[in-house]
Amino acid sequence: METPYGRPHRPAPSPTRGEGAPRPSPLVGEGLGTSALRGVRGIPTYYGQPAIKAGHYRWLVVSYLFVGGLAGAAQLIAAIADLLGGRRDRAIVRTGRYLALGGALLSPVLLIKDLHTPSRWYNMLRIFRSTSPMSIGSWTLAAFGALSGLVGLGQALEDLAGLAVGRRLARLSGVPAAAAGALMSTYTGTLLASTSVPLWSTADRLLPPLFGASAAASATAAISLILELAGANRGRRRLAWLALACGGAQLALARATEREWRRQGVAGPIEREPAASIYRYGVLGLGAAVPLALNSVQALACRGWRTVSVVAAAATLAGGYLERALIVLAGRDSAGRPGDYFHLTRGAHGPTIT
Amino acid sequence: MIEIVPGRQYGFFTDTTLCIGCKACEVACKEWNLLPADGPGLTGNSYDNTAALSATSWRHVAFIEKIGDPSASSGQAPSAGSVQAGGRATSMPPFQSNWLMMSDVCKHCERAACLEACPTGALFRTEFDTVVVQQDICNGCGYCVPACPFGVIELDLLGDGKAHKCTLCYDRLKGGLEPACAKACPTESIQFGELGDLQERAGRRVGELLERGVPEAYLYGGPGSPGATDDIGPLHAFFLLIDRPEVYNLPAAPSLPAKRVRPGLLAGLATIAGLALAAAAAFAAGKE
Repeated sequence: METPYGRPHRPAPSPTRGEGAPRPSPLVGEGLGTSALRGVRGIPTYYGQPAIKAGHYRWLVVSYLFVGGLAGAAQLIAAIADLLGGRRDRAIVRTGRYLALGGALLSPVLLIKDLHTPSRWYNMLRIFRSTSPMSIGSWTLAAFGALSGLVGLGQALEDLAGLAVGRRLARLSGVPAAAAGALMSTYTGTLLASTSVPLWSTADRLLPPLFGASAAASATAAISLILELAGANRGRRRLAWLALACGGAQLALARATEREWRRQGVAGPIEREPAASIYRYGVLGLGAAVPLALNSVQALACRGWRTVSVVAAAATLAGGYLERALIVLAGRDSAGRPGDYFHLTRGAHGPTIT
Repeated sequence: MIEIVPGRQYGFFTDTTLCIGCKACEVACKEWNLLPADGPGLTGNSYDNTAALSATSWRHVAFIEKIGDPSASSGQAPSAGSVQAGGRATSMPPFQSNWLMMSDVCKHCERAACLEACPTGALFRTEFDTVVVQQDICNGCGYCVPACPFGVIELDLLGDGKAHKCTLCYDRLKGGLEPACAKACPTESIQFGELGDLQERAGRRVGELLERGVPEAYLYGGPGSPGATDDIGPLHAFFLLIDRPEVYNLPAAPSLPAKRVRPGLLAGLATIAGLALAAAAAFAAGKE
């Protein structure tokens, strides 16, 4: 319904009704019979109205969580391969650095597009606030972008002009860039967890590790995919071992997160369709189990197969994206469930009436 | 008339037992702050057609009718303190006729989650110890919205795309005037004043109600009360309630989002450090 102000009326969501609740009498409003007075799990709600607001984050933020994390982890992998790897690993270093640069360029575009007053994006760098993961992230992204630019410049000087100074510049700026990259790949978990949304806040110590492991798996997969498609993957087995470590951590952390959601009674949004199927088959199956199996074969066999690498990498990337999308979008659902929020904030002493 | 001096703490004490649901506070707020109407729709939730606090509704009167609910009498009443439901209005205790009304507003928290989440400094603490959004700084990132433990602040997505909420009439306070809602309230359900005075007055009011036979009365958001948990309180806008907080759509024991920042970041970096060691091992072992 449009008003003269162009503001549609917000309809009230239908009340959530406890299982097996008797039908309210027709004389009583639908909302009153059960939800207003009894609600779910013995805690009343106000006509099933959300108790907190969900925020507007959708695909742009989902994409940033994926791209920013991948770029950060790619810079870290490149730095480690640069410092500890051999001559065969130069292709991995180069690919990781360019991937990081690409991600560092794309990330601010996604984030600024998500602002509702994009022309004021620079206000993000007006102050620093240690209680705000959004502020920590803005500065991390700014530092990561600048350092990745230096690393990329050095790499390009080496690649295009064969200058040794380029190599030194890339190696020197690569270490702080990798440190910023480590924060890039994990802080987004804290960004979600430091809110009041039940699904995010209950996993405050699990989402950052999960996002970090997932970002590292995605970065490994992206490097591997690019090298395979270029037909020059001489580091196939090493990348397969790395993918195994990251994928294993990702799967274990995803299961731990799910257990924590169930334990705290806020798993509702990921237990209903289609989220449940996307989580089981997309995130855990396609994104973790399939690559784990393929990379095990790859790592243990004496030789590697190009097709296996490509399939494993593509599955990892698709699963990693789905994971961010599911957690962000299910969070919106979670914020709309007053029963979950009130269950979480019920306090140590139950009913608070004296 | 209260003297309004910068440097002192001001707030609201909303005594819900005095609220008659006239919504004069909602109207006065919209009038003074030039907020657009939300639309003429009906929610079906008693007389509450505002539904919730929003970017354009900074006061919201909640209505809870506890009359004639047949299901609540089946042994699952929400709490021992609640009025017995299931009867007709004539057979129930006369106080408030089992009809609860409450004018909700931004709580102007002691440690405000929205302010602590704001990356631009648009949200700031004023000289009256209230929390206000500077509209010329806010860039509409929206991070304050899911941060608020009370679901108060919101982006005006159909308007200017910036975050809006109650300012405790910052402009009126600067001019020495009490906020519009408190001024308009005909029953003094909404009381404006210095926070210490309000807390003292509210404590006396609870004692008075307990004495008069309303054992359910308690403060929400007062020092050490429900709603003031985890350093969020004491709330600078607090309430006298006579049923569980959730009945009024308020959390009993909210938590402060900022306290989750450090443990999360450390756990994340520890994981990355572990994976970096794995990568280091893989590359060092594979070196020819």
